[in-house]
Amino acid sequence: MSNRRVFLKNSGIALFGIGLGGVPAFVVKAAESFKQEKLYKKPKILLCIFQRGAMDGLMAVTPFTDNYLKSARPNLFIEAGNGNPLIDLDGKYGLHPALKAFEKLFKEKRLAIVHGIGSPNNSRSHFDAQDYMESGTPFSKSTNSGWLNRVVGLMGHEAVTPFRAVSITTSLPRSFYGNNEALAISDLKNFSLQMRGNNVVATNRVSNSLEDLYDDAASSLIKETGKESFQAMKMLQKADIANYTPENNAEYPATALGKSLKQIAQLIKLNVGLEVAFAEHGGWDTHFNQGKEMGTFARSATDLSNSIDAFWNDIEKYQDDVVVMTMTEFGRTVKQNGTGGTDHGRASCNFILGNNVQGGLVHGVIQPLTIENLEDGRDLKVTTDFRTVFDEVATKHLQIKDNGSLFPDWKGNYLGVMPSV
Amino acid sequence: MKKFSFYFLLLICVAILASFSSSRNDYIKRIKFPYQKQGLTERQAAAHLLSRFTYGATQSMIDDVVKQGLENWFLQQLNANLPDETLNEKLKSYDILTMSNETILNKFPKKNDVIKMAVTEGVIDKEDLIEIKANKKDSSYKKLLENYMKQKVFLPEQELMRQQINQKILRASYSNNQLLEVMADFWYNHFNISATKNQCLQFIPVYERENIRKNSLNNFEDLLLSTAKSPAMLLYLDNFSSSGTNELFVNFNKRNSNKKQNNNGLNENYARELMELHTLGVDGGYTQSDVTEVARILTGWTIYPLNDYAPGANFKKMLEKFKDKFSEKGFVREGDFLFAANRHDSKEKIVLGRKFKEGGGYEEGVELLKMLATHTSTAKFISKKLAIKFVSDNPPQSLIDKMTQTFLTTKGNIKQVLITMATSSEFWSKDALREKIKSPFELAISAVRILHADIKRPMALNNWITTMGQKIYFYQAPTGFPDNAAYWVNTGALLNRMNFGLAIAANKIAGVKVNLTELNQNKEPESAEKALEIYAKILLPERNITSTIKRVQPLLQEQNLIEKINKSTAKNEENNNLSVDESTDKYNHNSENNFSSFGSNPVFMQVVGVILGSPEFQRR
Repeated sequence: MSNRRVFLKNSGIALFGIGLGGVPAFVVKAAESFKQEKLYKKPKILLCIFQRGAMDGLMAVTPFTDNYLKSARPNLFIEAGNGNPLIDLDGKYGLHPALKAFEKLFKEKRLAIVHGIGSPNNSRSHFDAQDYMESGTPFSKSTNSGWLNRVVGLMGHEAVTPFRAVSITTSLPRSFYGNNEALAISDLKNFSLQMRGNNVVATNRVSNSLEDLYDDAASSLIKETGKESFQAMKMLQKADIANYTPENNAEYPATALGKSLKQIAQLIKLNVGLEVAFAEHGGWDTHFNQGKEMGTFARSATDLSNSIDAFWNDIEKYQDDVVVMTMTEFGRTVKQNGTGGTDHGRASCNFILGNNVQGGLVHGVIQPLTIENLEDGRDLKVTTDFRTVFDEVATKHLQIKDNGSLFPDWKGNYLGVMPSV
Repeated sequence: MKKFSFYFLLLICVAILASFSSSRNDYIKRIKFPYQKQGLTERQAAAHLLSRFTYGATQSMIDDVVKQGLENWFLQQLNANLPDETLNEKLKSYDILTMSNETILNKFPKKNDVIKMAVTEGVIDKEDLIEIKANKKDSSYKKLLENYMKQKVFLPEQELMRQQINQKILRASYSNNQLLEVMADFWYNHFNISATKNQCLQFIPVYERENIRKNSLNNFEDLLLSTAKSPAMLLYLDNFSSSGTNELFVNFNKRNSNKKQNNNGLNENYARELMELHTLGVDGGYTQSDVTEVARILTGWTIYPLNDYAPGANFKKMLEKFKDKFSEKGFVREGDFLFAANRHDSKEKIVLGRKFKEGGGYEEGVELLKMLATHTSTAKFISKKLAIKFVSDNPPQSLIDKMTQTFLTTKGNIKQVLITMATSSEFWSKDALREKIKSPFELAISAVRILHADIKRPMALNNWITTMGQKIYFYQAPTGFPDNAAYWVNTGALLNRMNFGLAIAANKIAGVKVNLTELNQNKEPESAEKALEIYAKILLPERNITSTIKRVQPLLQEQNLIEKINKSTAKNEENNNLSVDESTDKYNHNSENNFSSFGSNPVFMQVVGVILGSPEFQRR
């Protein structure tokens, strides 16, 4: 039932016993495997960022010529043009000023936006909508696996390292639930044996004892996983995670998201076989004090765009192989509410970044925001099923050959956010 | 002596039979565990029994169980009525344990509700919320909110979560009725509720206490009905909002319709999970049409309005004022459960071939749940899940069949199914011994128990359990945590397990106190080698420790070598409170904890830590 790695079993004793200075066997193996299977291509990496709380898509990317929206949001609407703060993208849509870092990427056609994206299930509960989006089955709660875990299973090659699917979170996100091995870790620095006082001699001693014990374990699952744990640990120790300096003077914000993306950049550069990465960004549930150029929304937006921008600069050499995609459970009401915020709505927008993305475009459809065009007379209609975009990005970027079981109940046409392979 | 023990045994049996006779269903014959045939000694069998039905065996528990008789111990655990003074003392300060749903909702309101209330009462100016300028305003607004909470005697939700998590850890660690705690955990996971959803957190304490724990060793049917009517489940799987049309109430509904709470229509979530996860199992032989029909039967099953401030408050007043009238019309209130007849689809339904006549009300839901609870597919599904929990990840079909048979003949008597399992040869088979990998929660609690650790504040322990991969009460999907080794064992988790072992042995977990000296009856081992042997025996009772000792031995030898080198060169590392010198210097000032005895000896700590982090200790 479990789709575990098999390389250790096959490669046997030769892999065991690498010293602190050696290259972990799975890294060598990873390199070999990609050579064999992909003709010298480096692995493709998909980074997903879940914006928890439901981002107001109409504030992030505003259809600023829409008068209905303007009148519905007297305290929230930001004007474009004539020195106004909203960043005009194409004469119709404007980027929130706090997302300024995205402007350049959009102009360079590396950043694509999909507007009107959401779930076919009209639940406006954070829990349900996140659950459906992460399982990828919007009408079934009991789906065991998350969609990203299924992505891992569909890539058509064996996992060769414990770092194939990594989530920088304290516990495994719903998207990662499933039979394919996935790692949740809040801080790479903790991927080591932690002893009082950091005594190197004592730590090594204890480490050796434990390594011996695991090598002797009766259960093959524990034995193999134990070996990998020690190899991975030694490798990360060697990499000196704590003293990392980003390249290109990239400056990550000192926020949870900034720290998460920095660690993902480190993993990418370590060439440890990372293929699917996941990070979270909270604080989008703006019922109160949403603000305009400043306020709760602007703070989160600044964090999001600056973190992604820093990450993108930092991994410049790897940009051709990396795609970043954001997602959020739903959008927010067209009208502002009584407390300077917006309530739970339906469609929102998302961002897709990559050198190979059909960028510089706002994909999808938004009809003029008149009452008749709104869902239940209040919310931006979902015109693009989130699975349309997730499926296209994952399938094309990660070169999945058979994606039939990725979103089992979904059939549809791609929007064209990525070029055809 | 022999005679005495015979009478003693008889006395116990009489006592047990007497205590069982109070409930009609619990006719329990004398039982016999067939461990001898499987080649186990009595002590090995006791260790196995304890490792499966408690949160961790200790040497002294094995002594007690052997003295009492394995079967007697088991029957006593099934009865789950041992006094629990130690635990009760530890739980004294947890006031949520006696609170009702209503009290909890009113005492621990959601933050957003507090803000709404504060605005309604004019404590916070609406304009302030809108015209937020800089962070300055934020802090004054925070203060206003804080004062408002104090004035209203509200407590933050984090406090509710803290108490709920702590009490679970304390119960598992210290309760004498261990099997009850293990089963409560099993059923909670089976009928999982996640605190990640809306107000579910506020309903979890009562749910676990009244709906789960109280029914954990009774009939499956009672358990199912109890969860079905609980506000936690009604909310978590959305049935509270599911409604159909009822012609008798057309005018009533028109009069009382509320713009905000418009008729949501049918919601199939609970109906689907009820069959897929709670009863029949995914291959239990139902169709999508059955799901819809079950959902229709359960329309109107909702939560009695409990909040003083929520939109339901007016409805509550009405329900109370015209209580008799509502009851005449088919409304049913049972505690926090409400059957709202006006939302019930009263037309005919067919589930699994069985017809439910037009005009039915609350009673057809009860009938349906009873039918599902005693269905053959349910018997198979539940038996297999129990066998996976208590025997192995891949339990033999022969065992599942026996348990299924008992489930069917006793109409889902949980005690009887457990007895069938524990008296089977499969349970005692060598293939089953130590085959289960402890979940992070089980690992942490078993370490606490075997070290006789004193938990003053359980939160830090909970953080470790989360780090090792199990965030209790927060598993998002209604499936509950998977119960198999592959789920728990991955590189990151394994490393965290080793670190946990090292941390708890070194007294590095805040609020959890370990005294290795006391653990060895205040005796100091003569040498490091002796210490290894002693602690391995204590920590791995009735297990083969020769391999562990062999593998940990180099730790000590290397230690001796380093010691010699250090002495000869007199080169001491500074800032190094784990340096070998510490072990010889009883007055060392670097030590972080207050033990001045040998219990703080870092080598012993390392030895204990390594054993707790070893593969052997991960198994139960």
